[in-house]
Amino acid sequence: MRLAFLIARQPRSWVSPVMPEVVRLLREWGVEVTLIHPEEELVNLRDVHVEHDLYVLKSGTELALGVAGALDALGAAVVNPYAATLRCRDKVVATRLLQAAGVPVPETFLSAHPARLAPLLDAGPLVVKPSRGSGGRGVHVVRGPDDLRRLPTGEPVFAQRYQERKGRDRKIYCIGGQLFGVKRVWPVRTYEEKLGEPFTVEPALRDVALRCASALGLELFGLDVVETAGGPYVVDVNAFPGFKGVPDAALRLADYIYAVAHRGAVPAFEVTR
Amino acid sequence: MRAVVIGAGRIGCGFVGQLLRESGWEVVFVGRGRVVDLLRRHRRYVVRLADGAHHEDVVVEGVTAVPFADAEATADAVTSADLVATAVGAHNLATVAPLIAIGLARRSVPTNVVAFENLLVAGSHLRNLVAVRVASDFPLDDHGFSGAVVSRVVSQRRWPAGPGDPLVFVGDRESTFSVDRGALRHPLPAVAGMVATDDYEAQLARKLYTYSAGHAACAYLGYLKGYHYIHTAIRDPEIRAIVRAAMAEGQRGLAARYGPTLAGTEADLDALVERFANAGVADPILRVARDPRRKLASEDRLVGAARLAAASGLAPAKLALAAAAAMVFCDPADPSCAALHRELAAQGLAHVLESICGLHCDEGLGKLVAEEFEALVAGWAEGNSLLSFERRLWAWAASSGEMVATADA
Repeated sequence: MRLAFLIARQPRSWVSPVMPEVVRLLREWGVEVTLIHPEEELVNLRDVHVEHDLYVLKSGTELALGVAGALDALGAAVVNPYAATLRCRDKVVATRLLQAAGVPVPETFLSAHPARLAPLLDAGPLVVKPSRGSGGRGVHVVRGPDDLRRLPTGEPVFAQRYQERKGRDRKIYCIGGQLFGVKRVWPVRTYEEKLGEPFTVEPALRDVALRCASALGLELFGLDVVETAGGPYVVDVNAFPGFKGVPDAALRLADYIYAVAHRGAVPAFEVTR
Repeated sequence: MRAVVIGAGRIGCGFVGQLLRESGWEVVFVGRGRVVDLLRRHRRYVVRLADGAHHEDVVVEGVTAVPFADAEATADAVTSADLVATAVGAHNLATVAPLIAIGLARRSVPTNVVAFENLLVAGSHLRNLVAVRVASDFPLDDHGFSGAVVSRVVSQRRWPAGPGDPLVFVGDRESTFSVDRGALRHPLPAVAGMVATDDYEAQLARKLYTYSAGHAACAYLGYLKGYHYIHTAIRDPEIRAIVRAAMAEGQRGLAARYGPTLAGTEADLDALVERFANAGVADPILRVARDPRRKLASEDRLVGAARLAAASGLAPAKLALAAAAAMVFCDPADPSCAALHRELAAQGLAHVLESICGLHCDEGLGKLVAEEFEALVAGWAEGNSLLSFERRLWAWAASSGEMVATADA
């Protein structure tokens, strides 16, 4: 069985032990694993062929998405599915899909210029994010006109109503339909704080997570949920997050990826006596 | 020398047929459907012996097959065989027994029948099923009937990918089986890997109450934690510890009943646990966990091992947990699960414990299993998974409509 991970190399200080352990386990189980770092290679598009039973799309960079899209178009099996990753990557598309699915998300605004947000500040602060960003990069809390003036211009503005937190943040992770909840303090300062504490996801939050999965079509994802006086709000969705804090995360991920790849590689797989 | 192997499935082809051909026997399989067509057309198949990331392909050539639906051909195969083997699953023995009876009745010389069925009384059970199908004056005692303790796990049958490709069976490298010397007739069949033993019942109990108990425990606990494969579940530190402890409970019962030599050592258990970690066989949890109703029977791997342990003065807490997990196990495609859950819903836990496991829910082992079951079922719903057995921490809480009322009705 041959697998390829489309993955971005992270600075050593960022590296979570989860993904290296997933790769180690899969190799131990006899899977031939190739790591593809698109940012570190010169890719001749003519050389992009489907050479693996499954491609694991871990990276969210534009280049990785481009390569995954090409492979998908050539008929490769990709997890998460390319189209779902693309939907999730675009906060405008993802947020509207979540709204349509009845998922509680903060009121969301789009504009070509930060200045147009000014009237909205009368009702409270906003959170402005890059519409195709991830990992908390480029996120600004805007409380007044001075904050607005400091925002970068020339990019579409994606803004959501700031939600006052009540208690710890919740991360809801999904691995192939199985949900895992982790409570975390905010903001997190240490790796231990990122690991947080596992908790049993209550029915209302599970309903939210299932609606997200259905709306976006993702198999592996994470939700950022803030608890407020008005209930939970989903403030971010990540395709293929780090799964930090999920008990036995690497083993569970490796098990799921192995199962997906095995089914793909052996279509006639059958359990019989 | 000719052998007929009734059952062209994983054990029949992936173990029995391979060893027979290796020993120079002509082999005729009796089977159903597509597998018979493939064996007749290609007259060969492959057994993939997998060990972690490595494997060896053994080509088994020169075999033939007849469809079970052809009763005359099946009976003829039995009549002309120097050895009759079955590998059909214990619940199918009643279906094949009539044709074995017809075949034996036509014979002029006695033969041996070996049931590769992983059942405590497979040989005598099959003999009894045949006995009611032959004339009262038929000399059935001239024929040998033995069960067989199979060491190999054969986890998969893979259909050919292309027109010229062979059928492939995937298993581990274990290549021995034990038969009951006293139950067979001389001359004993000469088959590679066969060990004729005088303490067959003890050998089978040893396999059933250590290896099979651990395998089943790993499957049911792995299911509750949401894993897909045995080799994955056994890498979960919590599951590994429970499985190892459950096997030690079974071993202690064996030691008390049969003596410490037969029961084996700690190192023997460690070696068995390592076999579960063999990713080469890619054994799905749903396969190993299949038919929980049978696996919960009073003499079978979990409850049988627990009873033996309890009889030695031990409270087999981990085997009780594994048995409770088996009662929670739910595979919609498994009729045994459906039947078990219907019984739980309709007649309650106490009835199921008594009728299937031979246990009383308010005392001893039965109470242990009942308490574990109640604790598990309080948080379980289909698709949910346990994050921790120790803390009984579930991934999500079911809404009231999702709770499955499998406790006492």
